[in-house]
Amino acid sequence: MTMTTTAIKLNRSDLMAPPVAQVMQQRSLIIGVVGAVAAIAGAFLAPASFYSAYLVGFMFWLGLSLGCMAILMLHHLVGGSWSIVIRRLLESGMMALPLMAVLFIPILLNLPKIYFWARPESLADPKIADIAHSYLNFNGILIRAILYFVIWFGMAYFLNRWSTEQDSIAGQSTLRFRALSGLGMVIYSFAISFAVIDWVMSLQARWISTIYGLLFVAGEALSAFCFCVVIETILAKRKPMSDYLTDTEVHDHGKLMLAFVMVFAYFNFSQWLIIWAGNLPEEIPWYKARLNGGWQYVGLFLVIFHFAVPFALLLSRQLKRKAGTLVWLASWLIIMRMVDIYWHIEPAFHSEVHLSWVLFAILAGMGGLWMAYFFHNLRARPLLPLNAPQTLRLLEREH
Amino acid sequence: MSDLSVHSPMANAPIPENPIYGLMAEFDSAQELLDAAHKTHEAGYHKLDAYSPFPIEGLAEAIGFHKNRVALVVLIGALVGGISAFAFQYWVAVITYPTNIGGRPYFSWPSFIIVTFELTILFGGISSAVGMIALNGLPMPYHPVFNVAEFAKASENKFFLVVESADPKYDPAATRSFLNGLAPRMIAEVPS
Repeated sequence: MTMTTTAIKLNRSDLMAPPVAQVMQQRSLIIGVVGAVAAIAGAFLAPASFYSAYLVGFMFWLGLSLGCMAILMLHHLVGGSWSIVIRRLLESGMMALPLMAVLFIPILLNLPKIYFWARPESLADPKIADIAHSYLNFNGILIRAILYFVIWFGMAYFLNRWSTEQDSIAGQSTLRFRALSGLGMVIYSFAISFAVIDWVMSLQARWISTIYGLLFVAGEALSAFCFCVVIETILAKRKPMSDYLTDTEVHDHGKLMLAFVMVFAYFNFSQWLIIWAGNLPEEIPWYKARLNGGWQYVGLFLVIFHFAVPFALLLSRQLKRKAGTLVWLASWLIIMRMVDIYWHIEPAFHSEVHLSWVLFAILAGMGGLWMAYFFHNLRARPLLPLNAPQTLRLLEREH
Repeated sequence: MSDLSVHSPMANAPIPENPIYGLMAEFDSAQELLDAAHKTHEAGYHKLDAYSPFPIEGLAEAIGFHKNRVALVVLIGALVGGISAFAFQYWVAVITYPTNIGGRPYFSWPSFIIVTFELTILFGGISSAVGMIALNGLPMPYHPVFNVAEFAKASENKFFLVVESADPKYDPAATRSFLNGLAPRMIAEVPS
């Protein structure tokens, strides 16, 4: 064993991100700043469209950070060569969480513009008044939001810091990664479920669905996998990733995309079947809002292009094995993730289909800043964790 | 039925004087086998098989085995399972035993989806197992390679390459000298 490991020379400077990452970072920053300026203009020019669009953008980019964290935890628990090649991408995406915490502040300061339960007139409904008194109120949202971000960023911070330490110290035990990840998967799932109840489900304060948090868990993991496929396709055209990313890993990422497309459909169908079969007045308004006023076409579009077509395409082995073909589907599914969140949030604000330029400005503004942060994190360290056991196995594989 | 066999074309076919299955070469290492397999395939032999105590990456490709049809069998099995599950539920709920359940239409397809999904998975799973076994040619109670005594070591520490006599390029003398050029430990004729 020592014979094979000493034969491998892992040179830190050889494994740094290629110059294209710096170019992407600069372009992302430009898009982010332009988008942010346009979005701020939108807050004044189109206030009726702004707040719902802001929530859509926030939930998507937050979900990408958290999806990266969840898959990183999966990597520490069960990962192999498929996950070590994207580990630094996942860590860099996860470490964009502080940006999302800052971007939450505008939501916190504008609760009455977003949530019906935060408006005085909601108190006329005794049930909402009761909920608003005990759970859904400014202090509750504030305290819980701090809790969620402390939990998420706390776990992300340690996983990331230990990973940096691993680069300089060889032969360390990976027990602490695994211990935090095992516990962290459970904590993350609970925290995102409560966060989604606070931020998205409460748009209809009287409506509840017990699977709602899991819809976002599945979607976030899918977003993160698709994001990694897009980034690895760009990076794998150049050294150092071209040396170690093979079709086998791309194939695995494609398989995981297929799995999460199916999980996404499974959770969504479960919720829908139970509400359809129950046919109860408390439960059906959520779907009535989303299956009328043109929103039904958005929903149908999602069934076909977020599930059916990607599912059928991902059955193909050839498509999954080549980054050059998989990247198109991954990019498409990232757009579908945005459309899905749009379909979750916007019908609570607009009874007719509503699409404003402000939404594009916000997605680009938040996304540009997020991506710039991501590339900044990515460029700080080698693209492969130097002393991780999976890295050594990955390099041993090559004859 | 004995008179049938007399007239069957098989019975009239000339019986080779010394029916052999092929030529077997033995190697000491996985790498030697892999190199030999590559060279043999490149030399134009296509009916060949390789045997080793453990899976060797790239060996299947080296002997020209690129694609199997298990995936297709699974797809067909899964489609059959899904379609038959949906059709059966439709037949029961709409045609044979139409029952008013909570005022819903007889054809309430959302409630059919779960069983459709489950049978798709079940049939797909069974097809993959049965298809894999069938496409491997199993069960196979007899195989000529076991006629060579040394072949027992294929499940211990030796590596074997067999060129079948059914290969159009096969010639007892030429193939033997070709295999000799690959520097095997030994070469044996495999009786049919």
